[in-house]
Amino acid sequence: MSEVIVVTSGKGGVGKTTTSAAFATGLAMRGHKTVVVDFDVGLRNLDLIMGCERRVVFDIINVIQGEAKLAQALIKDKRVENLSILPASQTRDKDALTQEGVEKILDQLRKTHDYIVCDSPAGIERGAQLALYFADQAIVVTNPEVSSVRDSDRILGVLASRSQRSEQGRTPVKEQLLLTRYDAARVERGEMLKVDDVQEILAIPLLGIIPESQSVLQASNQGVPVILEHDSSAGRAYADAVGRFLGEDIPHRYAEPEKKGLFSRLFRGAA
Amino acid sequence: MAPPQPFAIRGTNFNMVVLQLRDGAPDVVVPALERLIKQSPAFLRDSPVVLGLDDLVANGSQPDFAGLAEGLRSLRLIPVGTTGGTGSLRQAAAAVGLAQLTKGQQLFKTKGQTAAAEPVEPTPAPSPEVIAEPAASVDSIETKAESAPVEAEPALLITAPVRAGNRIYAQGRDIICTATVNAGAELIADGHVHVYGALRGRAIAGASGFEEARIFALNFDPELVAIAGFYRVRDDLESNLIGQRLQVSLNGEEMQFTPLV
Repeated sequence: MSEVIVVTSGKGGVGKTTTSAAFATGLAMRGHKTVVVDFDVGLRNLDLIMGCERRVVFDIINVIQGEAKLAQALIKDKRVENLSILPASQTRDKDALTQEGVEKILDQLRKTHDYIVCDSPAGIERGAQLALYFADQAIVVTNPEVSSVRDSDRILGVLASRSQRSEQGRTPVKEQLLLTRYDAARVERGEMLKVDDVQEILAIPLLGIIPESQSVLQASNQGVPVILEHDSSAGRAYADAVGRFLGEDIPHRYAEPEKKGLFSRLFRGAA
Repeated sequence: MAPPQPFAIRGTNFNMVVLQLRDGAPDVVVPALERLIKQSPAFLRDSPVVLGLDDLVANGSQPDFAGLAEGLRSLRLIPVGTTGGTGSLRQAAAAVGLAQLTKGQQLFKTKGQTAAAEPVEPTPAPSPEVIAEPAASVDSIETKAESAPVEAEPALLITAPVRAGNRIYAQGRDIICTATVNAGAELIADGHVHVYGALRGRAIAGASGFEEARIFALNFDPELVAIAGFYRVRDDLESNLIGQRLQVSLNGEEMQFTPLV
């Protein structure tokens, strides 16, 4: 049985695309046939982060408008088996996305894939609503700051009222929280919201905490999903989150600031 | 220097009772109304009354407005105007001094209307010819005398978090929220507002002007509270109120914040 997962947040710049790329890669690495779909028509980024921007021929709009077959637009990932990417169009705008077109594509993808990860654009308008409309599960990406939490709250309201599941009165979309760019040291100094604060407001289960990490920017500049960076704390946190998503019981790391070892304490000034 | 105007002109809204006529003959309507008023002598005493004409158009009867007006006055009602109906009906009414009233767009309905707008158990209607209803309601409604048993409408119960951008209106009743009302969310009730989670959004009680309405919160941290049109934004709330278990009520035009014990 295939599942449609939307990665959404309301607010921009919180790490939706990074999360979509990491999650899709993680699911594929565990042997699930996975496709990640970029819904951010007009501002496509996913292909850059997945490192396949030079192989884009057709995109989701071409498929919706019948100019290309779905199989022609899907790009197979070169590093991970079972993973493909459906890029967004850079040249069109979001009005080119239609509900019928999206439904048709998702129905086709469901036949051949276990997981369909939808990378939502920011905002709560048409593009974001279409990305979440057909979702079975939602990963709500939130930064530990008030505006991001507020926007996530808003998008959770949209999920509860305007998804196909809610309109048809089926089991609601399963919502899980992914707290990204979490800087435990700044949280401890009171500069950022605590995990508990965010959870108290959003009141949905915590899928994972992704620590703020230099490696995220480096990896995305190189077109490598950060989950493939095994030395990176963010990469390991994503791997944990994928495990939890698949039902494994993995304790949360990174909620506390890293204990500084003797070595790093001695060389703190030089670092 | 010109002398100051001896008056000021202001617009305002009134809630009025509509007597939705099903018959235009005073000798039918007035005795039926008299029987109703006898059951509850205080009911409608000295109230302004608007004659609703829509049903008369439907059954084509020709009302005797002069006789009706006189009959109503004899029952200590004050006929002030008409609403609905055709141009010729309204003109006939205007000829005996009944103003022509237009139903304004209503933001919040009053309690009685909602209770009656939904199918309720047919309460024993004492007078089939006469229907009293508050003004500005579109549907005609069965009579509800003050003494008649009124079916209670349960409060609107919300158990899931109310999220930013959500707006929930409990028309003609209370609202009870057992979860959090988040910042950017809005709870509106014509009655009381009860919040058992944290109240971080807006709470509006007595939205149709019910000044006895209250707001109850176990964790008071709102963006705005309002009762019957009087409001306080967060900046106007004393900081020692925040996070408290308290109730908000209206005392005249003053908002009162009382701890819940």
